[in-house]
Amino acid sequence: MTNLSENIIPVAIEEEMRKSYIDYSMSVIVARALPDVRDGLKPVHRRVLYGMLDLGLRPNSAYKKSARIVGEVLGKYHPHGDSAVYDAMVRMVQDFSLRYPLVDGQGNFGSIDGDSPAAMRYTEARLANIAEEVVRDIEKQTVDFVPNFDDSLKEPSVLPSLLPTLLINGASGIAVGMATNIPPHNLNEVVDALSALIESPKLKSESLLKYLKGPDFPTGATIFGDEGIKSYFKTGRGKLTVRARAHIEDMRGGRERIIVTEIPYQVSKGTLLERSSALVRDKKLDGITEIRDESDREGMRIVFELRKDVNAEKVLKDIYKHTQLQTTFGVILLALVDG
Amino acid sequence: MYIGDVSSRGLHHLVNEVVDNSIDEALAGYCTEIDVTINKDGTVTVRDNGRGIPVDIHPVQKRPALEVVMTVLHAGGKFDKKAYKVSGGLHGVGVSVVNALSEWCIAEVARDGKVYRQEYERGVPKYDVRVVGRRKSTGTKITFSPDSEIFKKRKFSFEILLERLRELAFLNKDLKITLTDEKSGKTEKFRYKGGLLSFLEYLNQGRTPITKKGIYFSAEKENVPVEIAFSYNDSYSENIYSYVNNIHTIEGGSHLVGFKTALTRTLNNFATRNKLLKNGDPSLTGDDVREGITAVVSIKVTEPQFEGQTKTRLGNSEVRGIVESIVNESLSNYLEKNMSVARKIIEKCKSAARSREAARKAKELTRRKTTMESEGLPGKLADCSLRDAERTELFLVEGDSAGGSAKQGRDRRFQAILPLRGKILNVEKARIDKMLSNEEIRTIVASLGTGIGRNEFVIDRLRYSKIIIMTDADVDGSHIRTLLLTFFFRHMRPLIDHGHLYIAQPPLYRVKKEKEEKYVYDEEERDEIVKKIAKNGNEKIDIQRYKGLGEMNPGQLWKTTMDPLNRTILQVAIEEAFEADHVFSMLMGDNVEPRRKFIQENAKYVRNLDV
Repeated sequence: MTNLSENIIPVAIEEEMRKSYIDYSMSVIVARALPDVRDGLKPVHRRVLYGMLDLGLRPNSAYKKSARIVGEVLGKYHPHGDSAVYDAMVRMVQDFSLRYPLVDGQGNFGSIDGDSPAAMRYTEARLANIAEEVVRDIEKQTVDFVPNFDDSLKEPSVLPSLLPTLLINGASGIAVGMATNIPPHNLNEVVDALSALIESPKLKSESLLKYLKGPDFPTGATIFGDEGIKSYFKTGRGKLTVRARAHIEDMRGGRERIIVTEIPYQVSKGTLLERSSALVRDKKLDGITEIRDESDREGMRIVFELRKDVNAEKVLKDIYKHTQLQTTFGVILLALVDG
Repeated sequence: MYIGDVSSRGLHHLVNEVVDNSIDEALAGYCTEIDVTINKDGTVTVRDNGRGIPVDIHPVQKRPALEVVMTVLHAGGKFDKKAYKVSGGLHGVGVSVVNALSEWCIAEVARDGKVYRQEYERGVPKYDVRVVGRRKSTGTKITFSPDSEIFKKRKFSFEILLERLRELAFLNKDLKITLTDEKSGKTEKFRYKGGLLSFLEYLNQGRTPITKKGIYFSAEKENVPVEIAFSYNDSYSENIYSYVNNIHTIEGGSHLVGFKTALTRTLNNFATRNKLLKNGDPSLTGDDVREGITAVVSIKVTEPQFEGQTKTRLGNSEVRGIVESIVNESLSNYLEKNMSVARKIIEKCKSAARSREAARKAKELTRRKTTMESEGLPGKLADCSLRDAERTELFLVEGDSAGGSAKQGRDRRFQAILPLRGKILNVEKARIDKMLSNEEIRTIVASLGTGIGRNEFVIDRLRYSKIIIMTDADVDGSHIRTLLLTFFFRHMRPLIDHGHLYIAQPPLYRVKKEKEEKYVYDEEERDEIVKKIAKNGNEKIDIQRYKGLGEMNPGQLWKTTMDPLNRTILQVAIEEAFEADHVFSMLMGDNVEPRRKFIQENAKYVRNLDV
């Protein structure tokens, strides 16, 4: 039914595309995927921490059910899906995801094998000790507060963050037209480097390397070569080759085996083992007779048993080449400055 | 109404008419610079450095030629037999129409060492052409102010003029065109030494070409100069722009047919001759040969016949043969001389042929599947009861939460609802067979009833006359909107061309005070209403901001967004086809760099930065 009192306004498709796309991409860049340089947090993480603070979940208080935290954050500050908020909180508990976890969790919060965390009705959480330093003095008007999404409350635009959170925990996010990938670093080293910088503000990036040697992954492993590190110190971008920590042991029968005790950051042990087994089955990896995961409460231990008369060093090199035991971490130091 | 309409389109067409005169001078070889200025008072000045409109007495009209050109319709003023007239339909009615539709107009001509001037009011001269000075250089300068009694809105848009002027600069190699807006100080200069090749580069931003340089040839046969530039890139769309005498022939015509036919035939012959196409291989079809092509075909004809509904299709049948033979010769030569490029092109066409086969098979599956389900309408579609396509509408809504509100709020006689789950596929980056196996795309295609694909799409089978995109007012809604627009632009162009695609405007805010409530669509309106209501006392004004359609009650949704008697909907139209193509491939295509640049440059124009 065409009706003359209806209001039909012509719009050019080019204009509409440009406007809508800018709205979306700017929002993803500024308010979703990229961390703020001051507190190292993306909006969802900031809201979770602030929400927990609001609920009084300080490190020495009792744990509260995750569902309560998620509900609080959803209703007051973060009008998006509940799984987004819970997943963000879960990540802050995992000691294989964050070098300095900000949330202290009770219950199953997932594992390095890729197991899912328990549902939010089962787990409980509160702020970790170190998180105190991130929110300290927030009540002393140290940061700007902005209205929340429905103008009914105020939320902090950034957290006071006494700690250099961005550098110690790192961040990774895919925005639109750009992405960020910041590795975590050691707190002591960062503080030393900062002190040096305060003393001599004109310090060059090469000199900082004396104090801040490079990334410090929570999962350990080693970085092969320091070209990548020098590069990202200087230009903000660099390629790091991360290798698992492995050593060779003797076995009975004159055979050898490779023991892996630390794997590269953000690699799932479960997937790694599956893929390696598949490669051995398809004969793409030669010399391995059995792969076993002997990890337990004491620590990680992956065993690659080798065939007799096979050069262990060579097999190790092959494993590095064809599996995720060696990965590349492409550093992109991108963060939001001045909102 | 010669100028077509009195809206913004007609208004900007006035400028095009005046500029066309200067372009004619450039085509004749005498004008090298055109300056267009939007003056502070909102009027427009067009200045060129051509020969200047003649002022000698016209043999028939017995008045100075300048006056005749400015006041007599279709006078043209072309005394030169070799000139290529820009005539037919909406084009080339002459600057006299601009004059007639202007409150006042001033024409100044520098010629024969003197400066002549004449002023007009609504097309009537205020005085005879008189000499007002001396000057060595030549040129024409026309300033006009559109008649406020005819044009409601007289604000000229820098961007709209820019698009057309940029196009003209591409089509006329080495012509220097400048556009200035005196109020904002914005100014843009164009001068493309590369002509059509520069046009190609611009169109290909955001796409990766498979060869370093485009292919270009220019030749003339039987008094018809033909210029063609084209290149292949790794996208899947076909973008060919054809021009006759600088007019964009949107509906194509004999020149376009000639180009397409020759392209297919030449490539096939070349491939067979050089054993790139073996005996068992099927020949390359027109579609195969045009996948991933960006091309500009520009010809000049002395007496063009424009046909079609909007008079944008070239009718001259002799042109087809001319273009065909030129393309045949030039392209064959080029391919012989550039074997490696030729191989790359043939390889691409063959890969297109292969994926066409794959897509055909996928389409078979779609067709078979839908004939098995009765009538083939997807279960998620909440259809309407009326069958008459003219009166029915289809709302595409985001998610089941909005879908619920829409289904409850609609008028089920003529409004159908199709909820879309999540973000749909970005078709700019996907091959057609992947697109066709996507569930959401299939449900949209099935609901529309038109089929999809160049040979399958039948617009007459469209089941609704209005397709309305209704996404949430938040940024993810904006993103879904861009994804839907990309789909329709790339795969159902006729839908947009025939004006069937719309965007719903749900309100952003509800301002309520006791019993009174008003729905508004942006911050300015909201502040206005608040001021008005506040006059009677500021307390208890309740402002609710809508983030999603699910927030509204079905009744509210109907009243504000779906009720034809009350709603505001935006009708999607394509202003300038090549610009639209450029925007889509830049924003939605594979290349990141142009997108990042765009975001950086436009960051401060964000209209709705929300959480």
